[in-house]
Amino acid sequence: MTFRGRLLATIRAARAVLECPGVLVVGSEVPNLLEPGAAATLIVSQDLDIGVPVDCHAAVKQRLPELLLHFLPSEDEPSVWTPRARDLLEVNFVGIDYRQDPTDAYMLEDDQLPLLVFGALSLVEPGAEIDIEGTRIRVPRTAGLLLEKLVTDRTGVKGERDLLVALGLIVTGGLADFDELDVVYRRLRPDLQHTVRSNLTILSLIEARTGMPDPRPQRAAIAALLRRLESGDRNLP
Amino acid sequence: MSPTLDRRLREQRARVLIRSLDYRQRHHARGVWFRLRRVLADAGAACIITEDDARKLVAEGHRVEPVGQELEPPKLIVFASSERIAQITSAEPVPMRLSRELLAAEHLVLAPFETTS
Repeated sequence: MTFRGRLLATIRAARAVLECPGVLVVGSEVPNLLEPGAAATLIVSQDLDIGVPVDCHAAVKQRLPELLLHFLPSEDEPSVWTPRARDLLEVNFVGIDYRQDPTDAYMLEDDQLPLLVFGALSLVEPGAEIDIEGTRIRVPRTAGLLLEKLVTDRTGVKGERDLLVALGLIVTGGLADFDELDVVYRRLRPDLQHTVRSNLTILSLIEARTGMPDPRPQRAAIAALLRRLESGDRNLP
Repeated sequence: MSPTLDRRLREQRARVLIRSLDYRQRHHARGVWFRLRRVLADAGAACIITEDDARKLVAEGHRVEPVGQELEPPKLIVFASSERIAQITSAEPVPMRLSRELLAAEHLVLAPFETTS
């Protein structure tokens, strides 16, 4: 089965939760789903990240039994649900708290579905609803998700892969997305703005990796984005 | 809380602390890698050149990037047009990534992106 086939089968299997109001697909699969026809050619990943706003936690829990046919909660990390069949991806639940500081993180304790709530996800806003072969899923607005990827510290191999997901959003983004990113970026605290720019410089110099977007053809676009974000800022290091 | 989630939470908080330190010290030595990456991010291509050729470029008025002097051993980093770089016989192209080769170079000439200048 192709990677795209596994991704679409996972979305079908997790439909009950994905169609729960407020729930967003976040993470590495978003650029794949934003490609025309959800072509899923940009990023090869082994999990589907599901963002659960803390206000929707109870509603999502009610729908979890419908997932048990296809997934099982991991014993050591119950926010990860592992597939029963090899043709599905893992499902990873993360919490979203729109009131949270972007640098904070906390645990939403729960016996059934504990959630690690990352403050950076508070920058994510609900975006378009997409029909994926009959399942209506909601993805975040590109600008917010791109900033979420860029305000988070990225180190090591995992960090580089996460930055290449940001690159996937740059590749699939349109002019309006970058206008919005500029506006939201200027609302960030200076330390977060610095992290965004620092991560863009890292992204510009990352080596190409199999199964991920190639940064080399996008380096000019990254440089242009850096200059745009820096324009008018006199206090840069 | 499961041990795995607990570990992830502690790692996240540690990263925030480190980032806070990085930001406070960004104008000092700790910020040098950001400043170097920032210069490199503006370059479409890089070449290693000899000291003589680097000095010639400086004498021609090409601006020396200050971050190179913050490193030890110091690097002489200058921007020049692709046309000018094509005239430098010692120019040896090096991929634009944080490779050992690029980081070890003591004399670097960078070509700006033609579309973003």
